[in-house]
Amino acid sequence: MQLIIDKVGKLYGGKVWALRNFSLALRPGVLGLLGPNGAGKTTLMNIIATITRATEGTVTWNGADLKREPDAVRAVLGYLPQDFGVYPNLNAVEFLEYFAAVKGLDGASARRRIDELLQLVNLADMRKRPLGGYSGGMRQRVGIAQALLNDPQLLIVDEPTAGLDPEERVRFRNLLSDLSGDRIVILSTHIVSDVEATATDIALISGGTLVAHAPPEELLRAAEGWVWEWVVPSSELGAAKQRYLISGTVRRADGVHVRLLTECAPAGAVPVAATLEDAYLHCLSTHRAQLAEVAAK
Amino acid sequence: MTRGRVLYHLARADFLERVRRYGFLLTLAFAAGLAFLTYSGNIALELGEYRGVYNSAWVGSMMTLVSTTFVTLAGFYMVKNTIARDRQTRVGLVLATTPMSKSLYTLGKALSNFAVLAAMVGVLAAAAAILQLARPEGAGFEPGKLLAPFIWVALPAMAMTAAVAVLFETLPVLRGGAGNVIYFFAWSAYLGLSGVTGANDYLGLGFFMRSMTSALKLVDPSHREDQFTFQAGPVVHTTKTFLWNGVDWTPQVLLGRLQWVAIAIGIAWLAALFFHRFDPAREGWRRQKTAPEPVEDRAGANELSLARAAAVQLTPLARTARGSPFGRLVLSELLLMLKGHGWWWYWVAAGLFAASLAVPNAQARQAVAAVAWLWPVLIWSQMGAREARYDTGKLVFSCAHALDRQLPAVWAAGVVVAISTGGGLGIRLLIGGDWPGFTAWMAGALFVPTLALALGVWSGSSRLFEAVYTLWWYAGPMNHVPGLDFTGMARWQFGTPFYGLAALALLATAYFGRRRKLGYA
Repeated sequence: MQLIIDKVGKLYGGKVWALRNFSLALRPGVLGLLGPNGAGKTTLMNIIATITRATEGTVTWNGADLKREPDAVRAVLGYLPQDFGVYPNLNAVEFLEYFAAVKGLDGASARRRIDELLQLVNLADMRKRPLGGYSGGMRQRVGIAQALLNDPQLLIVDEPTAGLDPEERVRFRNLLSDLSGDRIVILSTHIVSDVEATATDIALISGGTLVAHAPPEELLRAAEGWVWEWVVPSSELGAAKQRYLISGTVRRADGVHVRLLTECAPAGAVPVAATLEDAYLHCLSTHRAQLAEVAAK
Repeated sequence: MTRGRVLYHLARADFLERVRRYGFLLTLAFAAGLAFLTYSGNIALELGEYRGVYNSAWVGSMMTLVSTTFVTLAGFYMVKNTIARDRQTRVGLVLATTPMSKSLYTLGKALSNFAVLAAMVGVLAAAAAILQLARPEGAGFEPGKLLAPFIWVALPAMAMTAAVAVLFETLPVLRGGAGNVIYFFAWSAYLGLSGVTGANDYLGLGFFMRSMTSALKLVDPSHREDQFTFQAGPVVHTTKTFLWNGVDWTPQVLLGRLQWVAIAIGIAWLAALFFHRFDPAREGWRRQKTAPEPVEDRAGANELSLARAAAVQLTPLARTARGSPFGRLVLSELLLMLKGHGWWWYWVAAGLFAASLAVPNAQARQAVAAVAWLWPVLIWSQMGAREARYDTGKLVFSCAHALDRQLPAVWAAGVVVAISTGGGLGIRLLIGGDWPGFTAWMAGALFVPTLALALGVWSGSSRLFEAVYTLWWYAGPMNHVPGLDFTGMARWQFGTPFYGLAALALLATAYFGRRRKLGYA
């Protein structure tokens, strides 16, 4: 089971490259896709999910080129887009039965699977209520069930925990971890803690290019020695923000505890262990500094 | 001045959002197409065997009538989506939280509608100038006489159309496809009355008829008022011309026209009474009766269900378990089409089916059979457009065989609806051994849902089919215009091959339209 993205680019409107020269090889596990807004994450997922065609490069699933054989991946794909709608007059069972038919599942397998999935996403009690009355979080859970309907080998989820309450979010994270053993899961999110909890690999995208692809441990190691905690009076917080890259602040009785990312720490700052959020910010800032350096030359 | 500024920006933002869509180019292309049909003589204004000399007054008035008759119909369907867009994009929710008044909102929306319709009138006015310069007759080019009918007749008619469109959008019962059908019949009835009464109607038909007929009677006293025709179709050659120098735009006439602008403002203001600032709890009769009630999310509140959910183990699916369940998919599509209709809908459909089978009088049976194929118009109009309407495209189109299985399944479900609802006539033809009639009926049963699918796929909206089909149905099955009756009752010898081939061509059109949207084949 292998998904290979080779030098993929996507040009919009003949002038804007949302993705450029992007290469990645994926094997079973959870890939956390991180990057700022507009980095090209959704474009990448749309290309892999065969929603849109790459302008250049190839994506192959177990050797099948998706440009020529899109159904090779569609048959084993579970896709949860960031924005999607539901048919408001159908209830959860009817909606999932419809997608089971579209995905080509036979009736008996579909019914059993739908029962299990509705229990899994905790909607079994509301299964006969029309989707038009569901809240955003409940619709999101129907979407998750839809993505898992065909027992996908490739699962792509874009901001899957958006709208879920904390309890459901934790349950979904655990589900993703459980599912990842024998399939490829691509998880795109801005919630770094979701990635921290589930990802076996992280791909960091910025400006349509791949900045880093590594296990979380490797990204954390790269940020070691860069993260400091520094206590400053409230009045000096503004000046500190201008001077350093700050990943967090906590107000305490002795002042503001500032978490900053820098190679040269100010006097009084103490080194602390990097979190994945620190590693993400460090990686991005280093990349941007390199780009600025190249542009200056 | 603050209210004026709010009104201006409301209308401006809405107008800009529209003109920056490809659909706006289609709108202008439609206007240009009308101008071309007029230029080529396929839309003509005639008074018996007479037509006016092509001076500025005649050409301007003729093109104005093109605006007021065609643009007030097609344009209504084009602009009747301004509040719906705010609802879909959820911009409406943001607007609802501002101090903006409801009347200001509906007026702004009517103003934006008016701007779009006025742009179409502008294209036709430019075409009128070209037409007169290309075919100079009578006095020279007189811009005042050419443009006056546009300003005093066409623009007030557009104001009325713009305001009525907003009113329809605010009334839940008229907001959807039923409103589109109702508008068509109301518009047709009004148009008919305008031509008969010769009054100062907002479309201007009777207004011009009175003036032109008076001028012609001076030349030919035997001319009758009922010989005034303004129609689209094959060229009818008039043999005589007469000179008409236009309407005398007296202050009284101008006030008469301005009254329609005032009425339009009144209608837009009236619409505010029914506009509930996007409050989901006040969506109106449909929501109260049939739309789903909010469901309380009991996840997390019920320890038992949580424990049950945590214990679930997903059964792996055997890859070989998948067959080719096309029949199940057709049934699913059918369920999706029919779901959400009240029981009364099925009772009426069943009544029409039985009546078209059992009514002994041939003419009455024809009328009932025609209505039986108008009844499911709102079901067919969802075909091909449902994924765009409900934003489920990414879910559906990322599934295997979305093109070669799901699209044919939608088509097959539409054909099942056509055969089921119009089946009374089909059975009657079959029992009577009328094979030519039956094959023509069958061709119609294939043609109608295929037309819906093709228009839905290409437009991404249900409105285009609703407008085109209602118009076609009115001309063909109801009024028996030669060649347009697709029900098999017209005894047109080319009916079966024509509608059969048209269905095939439309199916191919739908296929390529969907293929283009999928990105991947």
